[in-house]
Amino acid sequence: MDKLERGWPLTLGIAAAVSLLLSACGEKAQVNISQQIGANPVMPKPQDFLVPPMQVPEGVGWKGDARPQVIAGLQIEKIASGLKHPRSLLTLPNGDVLVVEANGPGEEAVTTPKQVIAGKVKNNSGKGGKGGNRVTLLRRKPGAGGEWEQHVYIENLHSPFGIQLVGDTLYVANTGNIMKYRYVPGETKMSDPGAELGDLPSTVNHHWTKAMVASPDGRHLYVGSGSNSNITENGLEVEYRRAAVLQVDATNGASRVYASGIRNPTGLQFEPQSGKLWAIANERDEIGADLVPDYLTSVQEKGFYGWPYSYWGQHVDRRVQPQRPDLVAKAIKPDYALGAHVAALGLWFYTGNMLPQYKGGAFVAEHGSWDRTPLSGYQVVYVPFANGMPNGPAQPVVTGFHSADEKQLFGAPVGLAQDAEGALLIADDVGNVVWRVTKR
Amino acid sequence: MQAQTRSSRFSIASAIFDVLDPIPFGFFVAALIFDILYANTYTILWVKAAAWLISIGLVFAIIPQLINLGRTWFGKARVRTRNLALNFWLNVVAIIAALLNAFVHSRDAYATMPAGVWLSILTVLAMVVGRVLLASDTVTYKEYSHGQA
Repeated sequence: MDKLERGWPLTLGIAAAVSLLLSACGEKAQVNISQQIGANPVMPKPQDFLVPPMQVPEGVGWKGDARPQVIAGLQIEKIASGLKHPRSLLTLPNGDVLVVEANGPGEEAVTTPKQVIAGKVKNNSGKGGKGGNRVTLLRRKPGAGGEWEQHVYIENLHSPFGIQLVGDTLYVANTGNIMKYRYVPGETKMSDPGAELGDLPSTVNHHWTKAMVASPDGRHLYVGSGSNSNITENGLEVEYRRAAVLQVDATNGASRVYASGIRNPTGLQFEPQSGKLWAIANERDEIGADLVPDYLTSVQEKGFYGWPYSYWGQHVDRRVQPQRPDLVAKAIKPDYALGAHVAALGLWFYTGNMLPQYKGGAFVAEHGSWDRTPLSGYQVVYVPFANGMPNGPAQPVVTGFHSADEKQLFGAPVGLAQDAEGALLIADDVGNVVWRVTKR
Repeated sequence: MQAQTRSSRFSIASAIFDVLDPIPFGFFVAALIFDILYANTYTILWVKAAAWLISIGLVFAIIPQLINLGRTWFGKARVRTRNLALNFWLNVVAIIAALLNAFVHSRDAYATMPAGVWLSILTVLAMVVGRVLLASDTVTYKEYSHGQA
């Protein structure tokens, strides 16, 4: 019995072993991100973790005249600051720019102990900041440089994200519906109270953004409806019309699932040369720092892209039960991987003349994720296109959104647009800034 | 009952122990049942409920386990039986298993399985064996004291 007196060192030893085990679990990325860009990304084996890889820099914003870095030949200026979580941008025909300011509605119930902890960790980055639930109009001051005029244009929205103008109708996609307004050029405040065009899936709202693009003929709106979970941990019941691109009739609001199995489709755009619908998608978390690559893909009508049952074609995700081999078999492999956990949120096919070297290709804004160390994303990249398909590696164009030691986050790019002169506009929802990239 | 066999005087620590100690045990048993249900039905409700039971069970376990530690190693040496010490170590095993299980249950959907159900079995089994050993001690004492009277 006296031998058992040695309990203390043993207890300490066990405690040390447990803490070592836990800290060893948050593994660093093993795959160079460049190997996960393009049509055939390197796919390591999935892992289960006690604590998933996690790295969340502290959101500090831009101090003074600090700004992101751009590659040689370009320059960047701030055209709006002090916004409330700017997410999406839309350039109007008269050169005004609309900025959608929003964040999640915060309506997802806390149903696991993990949510209590994870919510606190992730909010530290500044990405959890309160959204304005409004649209602000930016107008260039005639003959003057510096920041543009700001006018509060539409207020009291409910976590808006997508915004489109078709003729004189302005569509705004809230998290739960599409509103339509009569657009009058020159107004600095929307005079039309607006009317609901149609509803959108809005229970739980684990992924709340409703990206939206109008078809070139203006007859349909395509809306990205993100999944209601990382990987079905809220049950399959809440995934109805989720992880899907919805096609909405622009005249009566009737909608149907156009394509499915895309975990969180954002940045919907029509590729100008082929006229096809493209999307960027954020893939699943918590099976490794190098899984699963987020992607850029054309969206085929009635296409199924794997979520939740599989990823990147036929890589089965064992976390989903019961499994569906029939659906896995028909899962379409996306066109172009952007790298794991880059969290692409903005897509823009550049058609302007100011930056001719980028004409015909796509800019992608990578918001960055909590689930990778070292960090990935937090930049705007350019993906060259030829004949309607990606053609070559993605090149970072705008960088420097976090400090070199990855401890501090100055900004994070989200929505992209091109202004009347062909400059690239970037909404930054951590810096609460709109950036404008021009030729030097 | 156990408190009486070890010390004749009323102890606040014993009272707190007797009130709080069954709570984590019951929670871990419930978590095991729910884990088995989830593994068989894939209905998310059960595994989320198990996650809460394990986390809350661990919180409730802190005070009684500290009392247990004090009682086993710093109580009167003459009443520390081998089984009392074994019970302590089995509780250590159970708490470590439950702690790991809390992390395993933070995984999404079926990533919790099968590790979750095995750790639940280990937690409950360790606590059951510890209690059975203590009970056998109690029987001995009872007979002994009965013989004295």
